[in-house]
Amino acid sequence: MVPIVKTVKDKIVSAFQVADEVMRSKAVETIEYEVGELDNIFAILVLGAFIGIPSPPIHITMALLPEMENELEIMLEKVSTAHDPLGDLFSVLDID
Amino acid sequence: MKPQLQFFIGKGGVGKSTTSAITSVHLSRNFHNILLVSMDPAHNQRDIFQQDFGEKPQRVANHLVVKEVDVDYWIEKYLKETEKAIKRTYSYESAFNLQNYFNVLQFSPGLEEYALLLAFENIIHTFDDKDIIIFDMAPTALTLRFFSLPFITLIWLEELLKLREKIYAKKEIISEIKIGRKTIQQDKIKAKLEILIQQYEHLGDHFKSDAAKINLVMNNDKLSFSEAFRIKKKLNDIGIDIESVLVNKSNSKAVPDEVRDEFNNQKITPFPFSSKNLIGFKAINDYIDENNEIFLY
Repeated sequence: MVPIVKTVKDKIVSAFQVADEVMRSKAVETIEYEVGELDNIFAILVLGAFIGIPSPPIHITMALLPEMENELEIMLEKVSTAHDPLGDLFSVLDID
Repeated sequence: MKPQLQFFIGKGGVGKSTTSAITSVHLSRNFHNILLVSMDPAHNQRDIFQQDFGEKPQRVANHLVVKEVDVDYWIEKYLKETEKAIKRTYSYESAFNLQNYFNVLQFSPGLEEYALLLAFENIIHTFDDKDIIIFDMAPTALTLRFFSLPFITLIWLEELLKLREKIYAKKEIISEIKIGRKTIQQDKIKAKLEILIQQYEHLGDHFKSDAAKINLVMNNDKLSFSEAFRIKKKLNDIGIDIESVLVNKSNSKAVPDEVRDEFNNQKITPFPFSSKNLIGFKAINDYIDENNEIFLY
Protein backbone atom coordinates (compact mmCIF):
# COMPACT_ATOMS: atom_id res chain seq x y z
CA MET A 1 0.00 0.00 0.00
CA VAL A 2 1.21 3.54 -0.79
CA PRO A 3 2.49 5.05 2.50
CA ILE A 4 0.23 8.09 2.27
CA VAL A 5 -2.86 5.95 1.78
CA LYS A 6 -1.91 3.84 4.81
CA THR A 7 -1.42 6.96 6.93
CA VAL A 8 -4.79 8.34 5.89
CA LYS A 9 -6.43 4.97 6.60
CA ASP A 10 -4.80 4.78 10.06
CA LYS A 11 -5.98 8.29 10.87
CA ILE A 12 -9.54 7.47 9.83
CA VAL A 13 -9.48 4.26 11.92
CA SER A 14 -8.06 6.17 14.87
CA ALA A 15 -10.70 8.89 14.49
CA PHE A 16 -13.43 6.24 14.49
CA GLN A 17 -11.88 4.61 17.58
CA VAL A 18 -11.86 7.92 19.43
CA ALA A 19 -15.42 8.60 18.30
CA ASP A 20 -16.42 5.11 19.50
CA GLU A 21 -14.81 5.69 22.90
CA VAL A 22 -16.48 9.09 23.25
CA MET A 23 -19.87 7.71 22.31
CA ARG A 24 -19.49 4.78 24.69
CA SER A 25 -18.50 7.12 27.53
CA LYS A 26 -21.45 9.40 26.72
CA ALA A 27 -23.77 6.39 26.69
CA VAL A 28 -22.85 5.38 30.24
CA GLU A 29 -22.51 8.84 31.78
CA THR A 30 -25.99 8.77 33.27
CA ILE A 31 -25.68 5.22 34.57
CA GLU A 32 -22.26 6.05 36.06
CA TYR A 33 -23.85 8.98 37.84
CA GLU A 34 -26.54 6.62 39.13
CA VAL A 35 -23.89 4.17 40.38
CA GLY A 36 -22.14 7.05 42.15
CA GLU A 37 -25.44 7.97 43.81
CA LEU A 38 -26.07 4.33 44.84
CA ASP A 39 -22.55 4.08 46.27
CA ASN A 40 -23.22 7.27 48.17
CA ILE A 41 -26.54 5.92 49.50
CA PHE A 42 -24.78 2.71 50.55
CA ALA A 43 -22.08 4.68 52.39
CA ILE A 44 -24.67 6.90 54.10
CA LEU A 45 -26.66 3.81 55.14
CA VAL A 46 -23.66 2.02 56.60
CA LEU A 47 -22.13 5.09 58.21
CA GLY A 48 -25.44 6.60 59.31
CA ALA A 49 -24.38 6.52 62.95
CA PHE A 50 -21.79 9.18 62.16
CA ILE A 51 -24.36 11.62 60.78
CA GLY A 52 -27.36 10.80 62.95
CA ILE A 53 -29.63 8.71 60.72
CA PRO A 54 -30.93 5.19 61.50
CA SER A 55 -28.06 2.86 60.93
CA PRO A 56 -27.18 -0.84 61.14
CA PRO A 57 -25.81 -2.28 64.38
CA ILE A 58 -22.35 -0.82 64.99
CA HIS A 59 -20.62 -4.19 64.39
CA ILE A 60 -21.87 -4.22 60.76
CA THR A 61 -20.47 -0.73 60.18
CA MET A 62 -17.17 -1.73 61.74
CA ALA A 63 -16.97 -4.95 59.69
CA LEU A 64 -17.55 -3.12 56.40
CA LEU A 65 -15.55 0.05 57.07
CA PRO A 66 -12.14 -1.43 56.08
CA GLU A 67 -13.58 -2.23 52.60
CA MET A 68 -15.24 1.13 52.07
CA GLU A 69 -12.43 3.47 51.08
CA ASN A 70 -13.93 4.14 47.64
CA GLU A 71 -17.44 4.75 49.03
CA LEU A 72 -16.06 7.15 51.61
CA GLU A 73 -14.31 9.13 48.87
CA ILE A 74 -17.55 9.31 46.87
CA MET A 75 -19.44 10.42 49.95
CA LEU A 76 -16.92 13.17 50.66
CA GLU A 77 -17.03 14.29 47.00
CA LYS A 78 -20.82 14.44 47.17
CA VAL A 79 -20.56 16.68 50.20
CA SER A 80 -18.81 19.30 48.03
CA THR A 81 -21.73 19.38 45.56
CA ALA A 82 -24.44 18.87 48.15
CA HIS A 83 -25.29 22.59 48.18
CA ASP A 84 -26.25 22.40 44.47
CA PRO A 85 -27.71 18.96 43.73
CA LEU A 86 -29.72 20.17 40.70
CA GLY A 87 -26.63 21.71 39.11
CA ASP A 88 -24.82 18.43 39.61
CA LEU A 89 -27.65 16.51 37.95
CA PHE A 90 -28.02 19.00 35.07
CA SER A 91 -24.32 18.78 34.24
CA VAL A 92 -24.68 15.00 33.84
CA LEU A 93 -27.76 15.38 31.66
CA ASP A 94 -26.10 18.12 29.54
CA ILE A 95 -28.71 20.73 30.33
CA ASP A 96 -27.46 24.32 30.07
CA MET B 1 -20.58 -35.00 69.06
CA LYS B 2 -21.44 -31.37 69.59
CA PRO B 3 -22.22 -30.39 73.19
CA GLN B 4 -25.77 -29.71 74.23
CA LEU B 5 -26.33 -26.01 74.99
CA GLN B 6 -28.61 -25.21 77.92
CA PHE B 7 -29.64 -21.60 78.51
CA PHE B 8 -31.19 -20.45 81.80
CA ILE B 9 -33.17 -17.30 81.16
CA GLY B 10 -35.77 -15.26 83.04
CA LYS B 11 -36.63 -12.13 84.99
CA GLY B 12 -33.95 -10.63 87.26
CA GLY B 13 -33.83 -12.27 90.70
CA VAL B 14 -35.94 -15.38 89.95
CA GLY B 15 -32.99 -17.73 90.51
CA LYS B 16 -31.39 -18.34 87.12
CA SER B 17 -27.94 -18.61 88.70
CA THR B 18 -29.09 -20.91 91.50
CA THR B 19 -31.11 -23.26 89.25
CA SER B 20 -28.32 -23.37 86.65
CA ALA B 21 -25.75 -24.11 89.39
CA ILE B 22 -27.97 -26.88 90.86
CA THR B 23 -28.55 -28.39 87.39
CA SER B 24 -24.81 -28.24 86.60
CA VAL B 25 -23.83 -29.98 89.83
CA HIS B 26 -26.56 -32.61 89.38
CA LEU B 27 -25.47 -33.40 85.79
CA SER B 28 -21.78 -33.51 86.77
CA ARG B 29 -22.64 -35.99 89.55
CA ASN B 30 -24.01 -38.19 86.76
CA PHE B 31 -20.61 -38.13 85.02
CA HIS B 32 -21.49 -35.64 82.31
CA ASN B 33 -18.68 -33.20 81.51
CA ILE B 34 -20.16 -29.82 82.24
CA LEU B 35 -19.05 -26.26 81.55
CA LEU B 36 -21.14 -23.69 83.42
CA VAL B 37 -20.78 -20.22 81.89
CA SER B 38 -21.91 -17.08 83.65
CA MET B 39 -23.08 -14.67 80.93
CA ASP B 40 -24.68 -12.30 83.45
CA PRO B 41 -22.47 -9.25 84.08
CA ALA B 42 -23.57 -9.48 87.75
CA HIS B 43 -21.75 -12.85 87.96
CA ASN B 44 -23.59 -14.57 90.82
CA GLN B 45 -21.85 -17.93 90.31
CA ARG B 46 -18.81 -16.73 92.29
CA ASP B 47 -21.12 -16.02 95.26
CA ILE B 48 -22.93 -19.34 94.94
CA PHE B 49 -19.76 -21.47 94.72
CA GLN B 50 -17.75 -19.14 96.99
CA GLN B 51 -14.93 -19.17 94.45
CA ASP B 52 -13.45 -16.57 92.12
CA PHE B 53 -14.04 -17.23 88.43
CA GLY B 54 -12.80 -15.55 85.28
CA GLU B 55 -12.37 -16.06 81.56
CA LYS B 56 -10.27 -19.20 82.26
CA PRO B 57 -12.54 -22.05 83.44
CA GLN B 58 -12.03 -23.13 87.07
CA ARG B 59 -12.64 -26.64 88.31
CA VAL B 60 -15.43 -26.92 90.89
CA ALA B 61 -15.99 -30.70 90.92
CA ASN B 62 -14.75 -33.74 89.04
CA HIS B 63 -16.83 -33.15 85.94
CA LEU B 64 -17.70 -29.49 86.43
CA VAL B 65 -15.79 -26.35 85.43
CA VAL B 66 -17.12 -22.81 85.69
CA LYS B 67 -16.24 -19.75 83.64
CA GLU B 68 -17.34 -16.12 83.75
CA VAL B 69 -17.60 -14.10 80.56
CA ASP B 70 -15.79 -10.80 80.97
CA VAL B 71 -17.76 -8.47 78.69
CA ASP B 72 -15.19 -5.66 78.97
CA TYR B 73 -12.43 -8.02 77.83
CA TRP B 74 -14.43 -9.01 74.72
CA ILE B 75 -15.33 -5.40 73.87
CA GLU B 76 -11.68 -4.34 74.19
CA LYS B 77 -10.49 -7.31 72.09
CA TYR B 78 -13.07 -6.60 69.39
CA LEU B 79 -12.26 -2.87 69.22
CA LYS B 80 -8.52 -3.55 69.00
CA GLU B 81 -9.01 -6.00 66.11
CA THR B 82 -11.34 -3.58 64.29
CA GLU B 83 -8.92 -0.69 64.77
CA LYS B 84 -6.11 -2.81 63.32
CA ALA B 85 -8.23 -3.76 60.27
CA ILE B 86 -9.17 -0.13 59.63
CA LYS B 87 -5.56 1.05 59.98
CA ARG B 88 -4.51 -1.55 57.39
CA THR B 89 -6.82 0.09 54.82
CA TYR B 90 -6.62 3.74 55.71
CA SER B 91 -3.12 5.08 55.92
CA TYR B 92 -4.54 8.50 56.70
CA GLU B 93 -6.28 7.28 59.85
CA SER B 94 -5.21 10.39 61.71
CA ALA B 95 -7.72 12.31 59.57
CA PHE B 96 -10.43 10.16 61.14
CA ASN B 97 -9.16 10.88 64.62
CA LEU B 98 -9.52 7.13 64.98
CA GLN B 99 -8.18 6.67 68.50
CA ASN B 100 -10.59 9.19 69.97
CA TYR B 101 -13.45 7.57 68.09
CA PHE B 102 -12.59 4.12 69.45
CA ASN B 103 -12.36 5.47 72.99
CA VAL B 104 -16.00 6.55 72.66
CA LEU B 105 -17.09 3.49 70.70
CA GLN B 106 -16.71 1.19 73.70
CA PHE B 107 -19.80 2.88 75.17
CA SER B 108 -21.90 2.38 72.02
CA PRO B 109 -25.34 0.88 72.47
CA GLY B 110 -25.46 -2.71 71.27
CA LEU B 111 -21.83 -3.47 71.97
CA GLU B 112 -22.55 -5.40 75.19
CA GLU B 113 -24.74 -8.02 73.50
CA TYR B 114 -22.31 -8.18 70.58
CA ALA B 115 -19.49 -8.90 73.04
CA LEU B 116 -21.63 -11.67 74.57
CA LEU B 117 -22.19 -13.10 71.10
CA LEU B 118 -18.43 -13.08 70.41
CA ALA B 119 -17.83 -14.83 73.74
CA PHE B 120 -20.58 -17.37 72.95
CA GLU B 121 -19.04 -18.12 69.53
CA ASN B 122 -15.63 -18.58 71.14
CA ILE B 123 -17.03 -20.89 73.86
CA ILE B 124 -18.83 -23.25 71.47
CA HIS B 125 -15.69 -23.57 69.36
CA THR B 126 -13.25 -23.92 72.26
CA PHE B 127 -15.21 -26.29 74.48
CA ASP B 128 -16.64 -28.73 71.96
CA ASP B 129 -15.25 -31.60 74.09
CA LYS B 130 -17.86 -30.95 76.81
CA ASP B 131 -21.09 -32.94 77.00
CA ILE B 132 -23.20 -30.01 78.09
CA ILE B 133 -22.51 -26.27 78.22
CA ILE B 134 -24.84 -24.45 80.60
CA PHE B 135 -25.29 -20.70 80.15
CA ASP B 136 -26.46 -18.68 83.13
CA MET B 137 -27.88 -15.71 81.23
CA ALA B 138 -28.33 -12.05 82.09
CA PRO B 139 -31.81 -10.71 82.97
CA THR B 140 -34.47 -10.49 80.26
CA ALA B 141 -33.61 -7.30 78.36
CA LEU B 142 -29.98 -8.14 77.64
CA THR B 143 -30.76 -11.82 76.99
CA LEU B 144 -33.46 -11.01 74.43
CA ARG B 145 -31.11 -8.59 72.68
CA PHE B 146 -28.43 -11.31 72.70
CA PHE B 147 -30.73 -13.93 71.12
CA SER B 148 -32.16 -11.55 68.53
CA LEU B 149 -28.84 -9.99 67.50
CA PRO B 150 -27.95 -12.57 64.78
CA PHE B 151 -31.43 -12.26 63.25
CA ILE B 152 -31.52 -8.43 63.33
CA THR B 153 -28.00 -8.38 61.88
CA LEU B 154 -29.11 -10.71 59.07
CA ILE B 155 -32.02 -8.39 58.13
CA TRP B 156 -29.57 -5.48 57.73
CA LEU B 157 -26.97 -7.56 55.91
CA GLU B 158 -29.47 -8.95 53.41
CA GLU B 159 -30.82 -5.46 52.60
CA LEU B 160 -27.30 -4.07 52.21
CA LEU B 161 -26.40 -7.02 49.96
CA LYS B 162 -29.42 -6.33 47.72
CA LEU B 163 -28.25 -2.73 47.26
CA ARG B 164 -24.68 -3.90 46.65
CA GLU B 165 -25.84 -6.37 43.98
CA LYS B 166 -27.73 -3.57 42.24
CA ILE B 167 -24.56 -1.44 42.21
CA TYR B 168 -22.50 -4.37 40.93
CA ALA B 169 -24.95 -5.13 38.11
CA LYS B 170 -24.83 -1.51 36.94
CA LYS B 171 -21.04 -1.48 37.06
CA GLU B 172 -21.08 -4.58 34.85
CA ILE B 173 -23.28 -2.76 32.28
CA ILE B 174 -20.87 0.20 32.28
CA SER B 175 -17.91 -2.10 31.77
CA GLU B 176 -19.68 -3.96 28.95
CA ILE B 177 -20.54 -0.77 27.06
CA LYS B 178 -17.20 0.94 27.65
CA ILE B 179 -14.79 -1.88 26.91
CA GLY B 180 -17.03 -4.49 25.34
CA ARG B 181 -16.88 -7.09 28.13
CA LYS B 182 -17.70 -7.56 31.80
CA THR B 183 -14.31 -7.03 33.39
CA ILE B 184 -14.75 -5.35 36.71
CA GLN B 185 -12.90 -6.03 39.90
CA GLN B 186 -14.62 -8.27 42.41
CA ASP B 187 -16.70 -6.14 44.77
CA LYS B 188 -14.93 -6.47 48.13
CA ILE B 189 -17.92 -5.15 50.05
CA LYS B 190 -20.28 -7.64 48.39
CA ALA B 191 -17.86 -10.47 49.21
CA LYS B 192 -17.60 -9.30 52.83
CA LEU B 193 -21.39 -9.06 53.14
CA GLU B 194 -21.74 -12.63 51.84
CA ILE B 195 -19.19 -13.89 54.41
CA LEU B 196 -20.96 -12.02 57.22
CA ILE B 197 -24.34 -13.45 56.19
CA GLN B 198 -22.92 -16.97 56.35
CA GLN B 199 -21.42 -16.30 59.80
CA TYR B 200 -24.65 -14.91 61.27
CA GLU B 201 -26.82 -17.63 59.74
CA HIS B 202 -24.52 -20.16 61.38
CA LEU B 203 -24.75 -18.35 64.74
CA GLY B 204 -28.55 -18.07 64.55
CA ASP B 205 -28.74 -21.80 63.71
CA HIS B 206 -27.09 -22.58 67.07
CA PHE B 207 -30.06 -21.04 68.91
CA LYS B 208 -32.58 -22.92 66.79
CA SER B 209 -30.81 -26.28 66.68
CA ASP B 210 -31.96 -29.36 68.57
CA ALA B 211 -28.80 -29.09 70.70
CA ALA B 212 -30.01 -25.79 72.20
CA LYS B 213 -32.39 -26.07 75.16
CA ILE B 214 -33.91 -22.93 76.63
CA ASN B 215 -34.94 -23.22 80.28
CA LEU B 216 -37.22 -20.40 81.36
CA VAL B 217 -36.95 -19.74 85.10
CA MET B 218 -39.76 -18.03 87.03
CA ASN B 219 -41.12 -17.66 90.54
CA ASN B 220 -44.63 -18.43 91.66
CA ASP B 221 -45.91 -14.84 91.38
CA LYS B 222 -47.88 -12.76 88.88
CA LEU B 223 -45.07 -10.39 87.86
CA SER B 224 -42.80 -13.30 87.17
CA PHE B 225 -45.50 -15.07 85.09
CA SER B 226 -46.23 -11.95 83.00
CA GLU B 227 -42.57 -11.44 82.15
CA ALA B 228 -42.12 -15.14 81.38
CA PHE B 229 -45.08 -15.04 78.96
CA ARG B 230 -43.57 -12.01 77.21
CA ILE B 231 -40.17 -13.73 76.95
CA LYS B 232 -41.82 -16.76 75.37
CA LYS B 233 -43.61 -14.57 72.81
CA LYS B 234 -40.49 -12.54 71.97
CA LEU B 235 -38.43 -15.69 71.46
CA ASN B 236 -41.15 -17.32 69.38
CA ASP B 237 -41.15 -14.22 67.15
CA ILE B 238 -37.56 -14.99 66.19
CA GLY B 239 -38.20 -18.73 65.87
CA ILE B 240 -36.71 -19.87 69.19
CA ASP B 241 -38.73 -22.28 71.34
CA ILE B 242 -38.70 -22.72 75.12
CA GLU B 243 -37.72 -26.28 76.04
CA SER B 244 -38.71 -26.28 79.71
CA VAL B 245 -40.00 -24.10 82.52
CA LEU B 246 -38.60 -24.09 86.04
CA VAL B 247 -40.81 -22.66 88.78
CA ASN B 248 -38.22 -21.73 91.37
CA LYS B 249 -38.78 -21.23 95.13
CA SER B 250 -41.96 -23.23 94.79
CA ASN B 251 -43.87 -24.06 98.00
CA SER B 252 -45.85 -26.86 96.46
CA LYS B 253 -45.39 -29.40 93.71
CA ALA B 254 -48.53 -28.15 92.01
CA VAL B 255 -47.94 -25.99 88.94
CA PRO B 256 -50.10 -22.83 88.73
CA ASP B 257 -52.92 -23.20 86.16
CA GLU B 258 -51.96 -20.11 84.13
CA VAL B 259 -48.41 -21.44 83.75
CA ARG B 260 -49.68 -24.86 82.70
CA ASP B 261 -52.06 -23.26 80.17
CA GLU B 262 -49.36 -21.04 78.64
CA PHE B 263 -46.65 -23.70 78.56
CA ASN B 264 -48.67 -26.77 77.60
CA ASN B 265 -45.93 -28.02 75.26
CA GLN B 266 -43.06 -27.58 77.71
CA LYS B 267 -41.81 -29.60 80.65
CA ILE B 268 -42.64 -27.73 83.86
CA THR B 269 -40.51 -28.45 86.92
CA PRO B 270 -41.14 -26.93 90.34
CA PHE B 271 -37.87 -26.26 92.19
CA PRO B 272 -38.84 -26.42 95.91
CA PHE B 273 -38.10 -23.47 98.15
CA SER B 274 -35.09 -24.01 100.40
CA SER B 275 -35.12 -22.52 103.88
CA LYS B 276 -31.31 -22.73 103.91
CA ASN B 277 -29.06 -20.40 101.95
CA LEU B 278 -27.91 -22.21 98.80
CA ILE B 279 -24.33 -21.04 99.05
CA GLY B 280 -21.34 -23.30 98.61
CA PHE B 281 -20.85 -26.62 96.85
CA LYS B 282 -22.01 -28.64 99.88
CA ALA B 283 -25.29 -26.72 100.24
CA ILE B 284 -26.08 -27.35 96.56
CA ASN B 285 -25.27 -31.05 96.92
CA ASP B 286 -27.52 -31.27 100.01
CA TYR B 287 -30.35 -29.58 98.08
CA ILE B 288 -29.98 -32.12 95.25
CA ASP B 289 -30.03 -35.02 97.74
CA GLU B 290 -33.18 -33.65 99.41
CA ASN B 291 -34.99 -32.92 96.14
CA ASN B 292 -33.77 -35.63 93.83
CA GLU B 293 -37.24 -36.14 92.35
CA ILE B 294 -37.05 -32.85 90.40
CA PHE B 295 -34.39 -34.35 88.15
CA LEU B 296 -36.43 -37.38 87.21
CA TYR B 297 -37.59 -35.69 84.01
